[in-house]
Amino acid sequence: MGSWEIPVNEEEAIGVWVRDELSIWETKMKRIINDLKKYGKYVIYAGRSELKAEVANSYLNWLWWVIEPFCFMLVYAFVFGVIFDSQLQYFPIFIFIGITVWDFFNRMLKASVSSVKNSKAIVSKVYIPKYMLILVKGYVNGFKMLVSFAIVFGMILVWGVPITWKFLFIIPILLTLFVITFGVCTFLLHFGVYVDDLANVLNIFLRMMFYLTGIFYDLHAKVGAHFGTKVADWITELNPVAVMLASLRRVLLYGELPHYKWMIGWFLIGLVISWFGIRLIYKNENSYVKVI
Amino acid sequence: MGEYAIEVKNLCVDYKSLKSYSIKKMLLRGKRNEKELFHAVKNVSFSVEKGEIWGIIGKNGSGKSTMLKAIAGIFSADGGSIDLKGHSVSLLSIGVGFQKNLSGRENIILAGMLLGFSEAHVREKMDEIIQFSELGDFIEKPVRTYSSGMYSKLAFSITAILETEIMLIDEVLSVGDEHFKKKSLNKMKSLINDENRTVLIVSHSIPMLKELCTKVMWMHDGEIVKIGEPNQVLKEYSEFMK
Repeated sequence: MGSWEIPVNEEEAIGVWVRDELSIWETKMKRIINDLKKYGKYVIYAGRSELKAEVANSYLNWLWWVIEPFCFMLVYAFVFGVIFDSQLQYFPIFIFIGITVWDFFNRMLKASVSSVKNSKAIVSKVYIPKYMLILVKGYVNGFKMLVSFAIVFGMILVWGVPITWKFLFIIPILLTLFVITFGVCTFLLHFGVYVDDLANVLNIFLRMMFYLTGIFYDLHAKVGAHFGTKVADWITELNPVAVMLASLRRVLLYGELPHYKWMIGWFLIGLVISWFGIRLIYKNENSYVKVI
Repeated sequence: MGEYAIEVKNLCVDYKSLKSYSIKKMLLRGKRNEKELFHAVKNVSFSVEKGEIWGIIGKNGSGKSTMLKAIAGIFSADGGSIDLKGHSVSLLSIGVGFQKNLSGRENIILAGMLLGFSEAHVREKMDEIIQFSELGDFIEKPVRTYSSGMYSKLAFSITAILETEIMLIDEVLSVGDEHFKKKSLNKMKSLINDENRTVLIVSHSIPMLKELCTKVMWMHDGEIVKIGEPNQVLKEYSEFMK
């Protein structure tokens, strides 16, 4: 008790608090970097073998990574382009970009809810930081997304969309998408262990989000026509996937700059969510095995 | 000698309030499941010297496997501490950590990397592992096509050939056919002869523990009953179990 140092004034108290926070920050950061170094190679190898296994099971499997989004694109293009008479420029590519991004987000979230249970064989035999499981999935689905983007570029050439330097924005946009998705997945991974039917709730939520993200229509314009521009702004900006999607379409199809303010905003939010998600996992991960 | 490889102090492992719950149940009943507390390992302390081979014996549910998992870093300790002095550790138990859709060869690399070895090192040892496992051409087939015996053979081969400094062995020496059993026992003996290796074996086979171990620990209801010379502890244990 005698050794308690009572800070003399407020400034000093804040100084102590900042110092403590910084030292926690430093040790956690070191652990994350060490783990990434230690398990990074495992993540890449595991991701690669998963892709290989998918291909090996049936030789045409990798074709499905292309055929599936392509067929969905045809369906949406018919329903919304012909029946609902959408007048959007480059409509098939517009849809294809939407499906590509959505598939990544959707697959990642669904995989992470059950990832600890599905990896029971591994996590009950050896220690691995559990968010590495998300990174393995990120590698797998990221690769599929890139294959899909190759098709997008093919379509861009065929349709004769003007190619500009703004295409380069695709890199920060996809990076932001990855960070945000990873952050959300860390929390889903954690709660997926304890809540049995989280997957059901997630499914409903994802379906709702699917329609409210504007995969096959111009979200901002449609919402704007019904509820005014203010509401349209809110509904697009507060949905990170919609922000990324709109930005991708702007840079790839219409030669415009991305919504960079919201992109930077969501990138930072994504980092914060990931930070707390990783801390949550570190704190609890050794109890996961006791539950599953 | 005299240098400790494993130091366990006041280790407690509980299974508590960790039953998963579902939103459906919460909506229907309006409350969470009651908390349940079960002490699997109670206040256990011991130290193992480098190079020692310990047998751990006790009836089912006495906390042996839970303790091994805690030492391997898979379970968190709810109290106390485990110090491995920076040694590498691997746990070998029935039903191993393989990715079912991947081939045996890829699983060897993945398992090796998770144990902390580099990909190059695992590849170097690859032929030796495959040879020891006697899987032959099956090594290229997905692991889901393996029989349970093949599973265990592969798992044993990986840990035995890759040789971590501390090996925790849970019941697996009794798998496989007679031929493989004999072979793995011999391999164990040669591993054990290495002065730098520390081994903990959980088993119900009294003759085997007698043959392999330098010390035996008897656990009952999550507590240590006795640690001592294999012959004496095993004799008391078999009398107790009568």
